[in-house]
Amino acid sequence: MELLSLLNSPVLYLICGGIIFFVAVICLVFAVRAYRMGKALGIDTAKMKRVITASATFAVLPSVGILLGVIALSGSLGTPWPWLRLSVIGALHYETQVAEAASEAVGIGRLSISNMTPEAFVTIALLMSFCIMWGMIFVTIHGKAYTKKLSGQTEKKPGTDSGKKKKKLNLKGFGDTAMTAMFIGLVSAYIASYIGTIISGNGRFTFSGSWLPLATAAVSAIAMEVFLRIKKTGHADWVDSFSVAGSMLLAMTAAVFLGKLL
Amino acid sequence: MENKEMLQNAEELKNSEAYRKYLNMTHRLGRISTVLVLILLLSAPYMIGLFLHAVPNLPAAAKAFLGVGIVYLVSCVAEYLIYVPMLGAGGSYLAFITGNLINMKIPCAINARDIVGVKSGTPENEIISTLSIATSSLVTIAVLAVGVLLMIPLQPVLQSPELQPAFENVVPALFGAMACKYYRQDMKISLIVLCAMTLLFILVPSLIGSTSMMVIPSGALAIILAYLSFRKGQKGEGK
Repeated sequence: MELLSLLNSPVLYLICGGIIFFVAVICLVFAVRAYRMGKALGIDTAKMKRVITASATFAVLPSVGILLGVIALSGSLGTPWPWLRLSVIGALHYETQVAEAASEAVGIGRLSISNMTPEAFVTIALLMSFCIMWGMIFVTIHGKAYTKKLSGQTEKKPGTDSGKKKKKLNLKGFGDTAMTAMFIGLVSAYIASYIGTIISGNGRFTFSGSWLPLATAAVSAIAMEVFLRIKKTGHADWVDSFSVAGSMLLAMTAAVFLGKLL
Repeated sequence: MENKEMLQNAEELKNSEAYRKYLNMTHRLGRISTVLVLILLLSAPYMIGLFLHAVPNLPAAAKAFLGVGIVYLVSCVAEYLIYVPMLGAGGSYLAFITGNLINMKIPCAINARDIVGVKSGTPENEIISTLSIATSSLVTIAVLAVGVLLMIPLQPVLQSPELQPAFENVVPALFGAMACKYYRQDMKISLIVLCAMTLLFILVPSLIGSTSMMVIPSGALAIILAYLSFRKGQKGEGK
């Protein structure tokens, strides 16, 4: 608990808040430059204002969903670090998985404040920063050449697709399938470990391991199913902004009660 | 006729000196900003370490990276290749700095493009995407800042021992939701991989403590099965 107080100390708020402020300034600079260039290019300012208003209103709901993610992680990592990670670069599902993997690797077992040490926290924090920076690196090194190439491609006349290009599109189809498969593999490894914990967690076939992680995962899956049904039957696309964080928070609440029962 | 004029206009704008200067400056600013943010993000754990009197355990970080980080390396490459064409230069730099691409930035930019009716690769798309992503990022930053401020008085409640089972089960809560989302996309592969991994953990319980490393064989098995299914589908289409 003492470590959690340190992780919520003003020094951490200052470090994380400073970086977030810097990113906000970058966004502001890019927005002002784009707006001025848009005016110079003769783009209707009313259109640009409409884009700003629409984007601002569009972002409110997902942002509240992201805030729920900060709350979900605040019990194990304090508030400032998840605040930074989810304001800049990160996403809830990524942050949680990487934090869990780092917890295991550093030897504290599952991600939990009761097992956390200062060394484990800074290792987790470093890994969270490191694992997802590739998009930033690619865009820095190759972004200019890539966008120029793409800009050139749009000038090609339609109807000139070669057989080679068609073959590439087929492979792209597999790219999407492979990404889904990779996430199925990732999720399966963890769900299987919860089942394995129950059956062999305290020795092979002892059936005395904790049920709580699997029960929590099951509640979360049911909650997600409900969210997806609401989305489908009510044509409520806004549900997407809350489905993951909402399912997690419901399952975490259930864990408090299930913990007393199981 | 109108379309032809629009295309000609877009081509003129694309080749204008002012726009070319703007794009070059966008890349320069984007690169500098990205590198600075990268330095800040990587140095933050060390700054926090100074305060906590701890340093990151690099061998442990490397081990965890091999398990889960590789998955995200592949994911980042795919995101980069797919989303940069949609976002343009300015939008891409901002989107990769601020994150939350799939759940917010991409739908937001597409929504903005639909409102104005612009096409990829045009100067209008560059401007609209940048405006849209910058605005949505600023809104997220503001909402989170207000939310975090409001959370400060709630800290004693969040730290109470009664709530600890909730925070100790953040990860199972995440994977339950994700399982529901991804398993429905291919139930057959999901079941096979889940059964295989469960059997492995039951028979070799020592692997439970290294679940993040077991993501590699689990992911590989899922991809192999997906590839076989994909090939089968393609052959079926070819007949």
